Amino acid sequence: MQNERTVVDGLRLAVRAMVYAVLGGAALIAIATVVSVLGPMLAIDLYTPPVAAWWTVFTAVAVQGVPFLLLGTVVSAAIGAFVPERVFTRLLPRNQALAVPIAGAAGVVLPGCECASVPVASSLMRRGVAPAAALAFLLSAPAINPVVLVATSIAFPGQPKMVLGRLIASLATAVVMGWLWARFGREEWLRLPKRTQSAASSPAGMKAFVAGLQHDFLHAGGFLVLGAAAAATFNIAVPRSILDIFTGSSWLSLLLLALLAVVLCVCSEADAFVAASLSGFSPAAKLAFMVVGPMVDLKLIALQAGTFGRSFALRFSSTTWLVAVTSSTLVGWWLL
Amino acid sequence: MAGRRDEQHAGGLVVAVRRYGSAVLLLLTGGAVLRISLLSDLYLRYVQAALRPYLVISGSLLMLLGVVAAVRGMSHRDHEEDHEEDHEDHEEAEDHGHSHGPRIAWLLTLPALALLLFPPPALGSYSAGREQAQLAAQGVGTFPALPAAKVLDISVAQYSSRAIYDTGHSLKGRTVRMTGFVTHGSNGAWYVTRLVVTCCAADATTSKVEIRGTESDDAPQTDTWVTVTGTWLPKGRLGTDGAWPPLLDATTVKQVRQPADPYEKR
Repeated sequence: MQNERTVVDGLRLAVRAMVYAVLGGAALIAIATVVSVLGPMLAIDLYTPPVAAWWTVFTAVAVQGVPFLLLGTVVSAAIGAFVPERVFTRLLPRNQALAVPIAGAAGVVLPGCECASVPVASSLMRRGVAPAAALAFLLSAPAINPVVLVATSIAFPGQPKMVLGRLIASLATAVVMGWLWARFGREEWLRLPKRTQSAASSPAGMKAFVAGLQHDFLHAGGFLVLGAAAAATFNIAVPRSILDIFTGSSWLSLLLLALLAVVLCVCSEADAFVAASLSGFSPAAKLAFMVVGPMVDLKLIALQAGTFGRSFALRFSSTTWLVAVTSSTLVGWWLL
Repeated sequence: MAGRRDEQHAGGLVVAVRRYGSAVLLLLTGGAVLRISLLSDLYLRYVQAALRPYLVISGSLLMLLGVVAAVRGMSHRDHEEDHEEDHEDHEEAEDHGHSHGPRIAWLLTLPALALLLFPPPALGSYSAGREQAQLAAQGVGTFPALPAAKVLDISVAQYSSRAIYDTGHSLKGRTVRMTGFVTHGSNGAWYVTRLVVTCCAADATTSKVEIRGTESDDAPQTDTWVTVTGTWLPKGRLGTDGAWPPLLDATTVKQVRQPADPYEKR
């Protein structure tokens, strides 16, 4: 009995190995042939000026983003590893209406891009912070922290009003969203995060710092590359004349850039540079791009859906988009 | 038997990716950043010069993190050599997204390998041609005095804005020299063109100067880099479309190598 089974197993394995070998070999040969014949032709045919320009812009956006991304993740990993979260909880008042603006303003102290703020917000909720306050923090932290503001001032040299506008419009959006949640939010929309991994909260110190830094950089770096690819595609594929049509109308251009921010998914530490590169748009439209970007984009919706549940992510993101567009319109009209 | 070995190989690959994936990605990214910033001037094709120190620091830090990740991967192996099989699921649940990086991070290989193996070229005539260098409605005015020199080295952008907007006519009577790449317009006109980059190549804008004069008949090929010496030819009324593009009466046109910094700074 035993023997038969081993023989059958052995036979099955051998047959499977044969099939794999034949299929794999055939596929390899086919690929090798196609590549060796077509490769050089394709390489010359495909490496046209537009493609070369795409690669240049793509790598340029990625290279430009790396130092800022790394700076952001270093600081956020340090805070995650060395600052106990109860500090945040102790500082917040019980009253939600009061806690929301304080939590929103507290976003200033957590430099990190939006990918980092989602786990922080979820751990804050777990530690008993009111969801409204944690959500205000989630929205404001990636938008108004010093790293982002410094990056913004570098991207818009000699335009301190752009930095101020970004700060005010982002903070207003975060606080309004927190209040909206405190007033209309329902617990059942929010799938409160369960503790699945012990690694994120408990171990503090150097090991957690290095692990957090590696993970955050790689994670955000992947999304940065995605954003760079989208930005380069937009840069190369869309004829400038179409942008001119939109730049003609300040309303349309503002809505277009607010939508673009959702699609491009550029990390908040790098998005000011992308906004500055969108020459020909009104300052208010660029402001909308920078206010919406750190709060609503495709990768953020995906992260939120993974952490808080899909029904929450969709409601929250669409409302945030509307509030962000409104606030950046008002601030842009008032300030810029 | 061969099948078992194949499966082991595949399993080994999965384990290796899980264990060393972060290290590989960090080393690749750091290496690519150092290659363009520390070991060469290639970064100037992509970003502005002031970013270099930050790129060098970032690249070194990423390499360091990669080495740490690799060392940790190796020590993991020493601990878990024997009970690999039953450990895998557990390890995945516990270490998810920590020892092996998140899957999205593999996108980093695209720009990293591109920079390491085939660094993309600086933007050239294609990008310059896509963008109609528009006349910014800035209004005319006077400019700061130009330095005294027999032959004045000037950027294409600087020449261009002085030629179009300067009511003080600071270019009048000066012999100027500028470097850029060649682009061609309709009816035989050719230009010395340069892209202006504020932060990175994504925000490049174009400035160009039309070359006239005796030497201009045998125009160089598109994208050739040239240094042109000559004098200003006034044209049109200042600050209007008629003044654009500015003209240069060239006395010499010399082919040069592409400069290390292919862009001009605003």
